[in-house]
Amino acid sequence: MIKEYNILIASVGGQGGITLARILSNAAQSQGLKVRVGETLGMAQRGGPVQSHVRFGEDVYGPMIPKGRSDVLLSLEPAEALRVVRYIGKRTTTIMNTSPTLPIPVILNEATYPDPARITSILERIGGRVYSIDAVELAREAGSLRSMNVVMLGAYVSLGEPILTLDTIEESLATSLPSRYLEQNIRALKIGLEKMKELISEA
Amino acid sequence: MIGKEGSVRLLMGNESVARGAVEAGVGVVIGYPGTPSSEVISTLAPCAEELGIKVEWAVNEKVAFDVAAGAALAGCRCLVTMKSAGLNVAFDSIISVAYGDVNGGLVIYVADDPAVHAGMEEQDSRFFTKVSMLPMIDVFDPQDAKDAVVEAFDYSERFKIPIFVRSTSRVAHMRCGVKFGPVRSSVREVGFQRDIRRFTRASPVWCMEQHTRLNEKVEKMKPHFESSRFNELHMPENNAGVGVIASGVSWNYLHEVVALHNLVELATLRIGTVNPLPEKLIHAFIDKVDRILVLEELEPYVELHVKAMIADAGKNVRVYGKKDGTLRRVGEYNYDVVERALGKLLGTELAERNPELDKIRDEAIKVAPRRPLPFCPGCPHRATYTAMRQALRELGYGEGEAIITGDIGCTILGMHPPFNMCWTEVSMGASIGLACGLRYAGIDKPIIATIGDSTFFHAGIPPTINTAWNDTNIVIAVLDNRITAMTGHQPSPSSGYTATGAETEPIEIERILEASGIKKVRVVDPYDLQHTKEAFIAALKERGPSAVVLRRMCSLVARRRGLLGTPSVVDPERCTACLLCLRTLSCPAMSVSEDGKMVIDPSTCTGCGVCAQICPFDAITAWRQKD
Ligand SMILES: Cc1ncc(C[n+]2csc(CCOP(=O)(O)OP(=O)(O)O)c2C)c(N)n1
Ligand code: SF4
Ligand code: SF4
Repeated sequence: MIKEYNILIASVGGQGGITLARILSNAAQSQGLKVRVGETLGMAQRGGPVQSHVRFGEDVYGPMIPKGRSDVLLSLEPAEALRVVRYIGKRTTTIMNTSPTLPIPVILNEATYPDPARITSILERIGGRVYSIDAVELAREAGSLRSMNVVMLGAYVSLGEPILTLDTIEESLATSLPSRYLEQNIRALKIGLEKMKELISEA
Repeated sequence: MIGKEGSVRLLMGNESVARGAVEAGVGVVIGYPGTPSSEVISTLAPCAEELGIKVEWAVNEKVAFDVAAGAALAGCRCLVTMKSAGLNVAFDSIISVAYGDVNGGLVIYVADDPAVHAGMEEQDSRFFTKVSMLPMIDVFDPQDAKDAVVEAFDYSERFKIPIFVRSTSRVAHMRCGVKFGPVRSSVREVGFQRDIRRFTRASPVWCMEQHTRLNEKVEKMKPHFESSRFNELHMPENNAGVGVIASGVSWNYLHEVVALHNLVELATLRIGTVNPLPEKLIHAFIDKVDRILVLEELEPYVELHVKAMIADAGKNVRVYGKKDGTLRRVGEYNYDVVERALGKLLGTELAERNPELDKIRDEAIKVAPRRPLPFCPGCPHRATYTAMRQALRELGYGEGEAIITGDIGCTILGMHPPFNMCWTEVSMGASIGLACGLRYAGIDKPIIATIGDSTFFHAGIPPTINTAWNDTNIVIAVLDNRITAMTGHQPSPSSGYTATGAETEPIEIERILEASGIKKVRVVDPYDLQHTKEAFIAALKERGPSAVVLRRMCSLVARRRGLLGTPSVVDPERCTACLLCLRTLSCPAMSVSEDGKMVIDPSTCTGCGVCAQICPFDAITAWRQKD
């Protein structure tokens, strides 16, 4: 019996973080797990930071992950990982998309965007392993930039966390997203999955 | 929303409220958009026809409540939804309807917002029960929210009294498995008997009679609420005199701390019926413990009551809460806040501390670049504020000289760089009254009130009439993007359709402005910077009140409807890398290439063409967006 398992998704509006949370939570629900999802939806549609806390297990009640207790962080935008460090701890494995979405002050040269190596090193000092993948490029390979979130999902599946099976995730993909994009999304899932396998075997 | 009894679905708190209303056989669901309450209506609207119920976005919360109250008088079951700020708007009617009887169940769903995820105040709406006497159930998760709505309808009808169901952002937007119950028919026998002794308030004698009856109803409800499932007392045999009382979302955090630290001996009491409070349960609780912690976000509502009961009973129970500084009145709670407070109550440190890690975390947050909310690519408001600034400059007013009172909605984003235009944001419609007051105080610079269409319909019309009536020299700028954008693009009276998508004639704001007595009303397309600037210049030169209507559809809506134009293109030969366009507009479709020149991302650009009008070197080619 799973007592507590936490996936944190950090993204900016428009990247599909909320959809990703939907796919994961539907998969968990279909496996009969007790599920809780907490989200900050306020600014989602307009490019603001979005956080989704996808939690399952018997001892899970609150909608938010307690401090330091994420098992996995899926960061769809590199710097957004820094905004959620509160929830990262030693048990956290991070998968980070390396393509940034630059905030306006950075484009205007009024603020600096942190160096990717710096982000990784901060994350590693706080948490566990950090895997970096260029999910935007991989999504392009898969045929659509929109499936970047599903590339990240594929990478997550590769981690081999024993809780959600590939089967239920594929099923959830089919039920959570419009069917006309299914083929495309399965392709993105596989590409993410393979890329992550490579990274893990290199490590 | 249409699902079989017994099935379990992952639902958001607000979806669950919607399902609860359906199960209760609701006939009318009406509200005004406001995060975090809006999803109740947006969930029900698409299936309204199939369900045979009336679902409506009203022009404001008071109107929504009045409509619902009318239907409830006739015996229909009604749900009204609003965010906390909306309760203030509707309260004038709510407090009066409380005095009469409702024949059909009338449930008011209000969602508060601790930690201000959506903007506006951290209002604790539980205190409205003290002013209106009305009962309230404070819910802690989506399943509880659905159960509360279903039962609130029954209580409301049985005791002929409106009932509040209150949630907070974290509950309203939380998802969990919700078990569907049976659906009752919404078809009811309706009728309304004239009885002015109950349904009018003009006679003091009748009014006091009604007040007495209201108090009696609440008194009669007490035992029912007391024993309802919304309160839960857990008093273990081996309890050591220590207990926790929790209300709202904190109940979840408490459970989680108890589970993790195996605090099985702790006495706990959940209070869901915050009015009338379960006084017997509270008595039973304070009888057995000598130390308690009260967990409730925002104000010490339960805490004050419990303290008064302890004092009345002549007991000596130490209360940990807001009054002794254990917990804060500001912001939201979470697992860690509750764990810390419990540690204090138990006199042991429950949380693992790691100050070094916390230091790295604090630094990390500082490294994360700010992500201020910009106007979307092609947002008409960006063009409006740009033209407004050009007009002011041309009249000789530099940055920070003219006063612009802003209003609620995407329109307020003009307060951010690079525009730096709006000075104030108070409440729906307040921009206009504020502008008049500034003028009366003797400010002799230009004063412009900016307000969105939905906000104008909501609360902008009375202050407009006031301005015209008293001939106050201000400019009212109505940014008419044909939608209630900020809260998620719900229709407004200018949209041309209703909540369920039924087509209507758009209600044009210039006609309201003119009928309100504003003599000089100009209507422009903000994408046309030159004409918009000229309209502002002319309005600012007027001696009395004047208005400019900036009409252009919200670009997110235009995108969804496939109404976008061709993306604009920068000619790198002509671009001198001055970046004037970027600094003036900060459009998210723009970025800077390695050679310092402007590039426009064709998948993000809406083709609004505004940047092309800014470029002094004609480096941007624009094909204007369709109308
Ligand atoms: C009394 C009250 N009700 C609801 C809200 C939530 N709310 C915030 S902005 C807004 C309306 C925005 O629409 P509009 O005025 O058309 O401006 P836009 O966002 O479209 O630019 C609403 C309803 C509120 N802040 N106060
Ligand atoms: S949602 Fe519409 S009104 Fe709001 S900023 Fe975006 S384009 Fe402008
Ligand atoms: S035309 Fe210019 S201002 Fe308009 S959306 Fe495109 S890049 Fe932005």
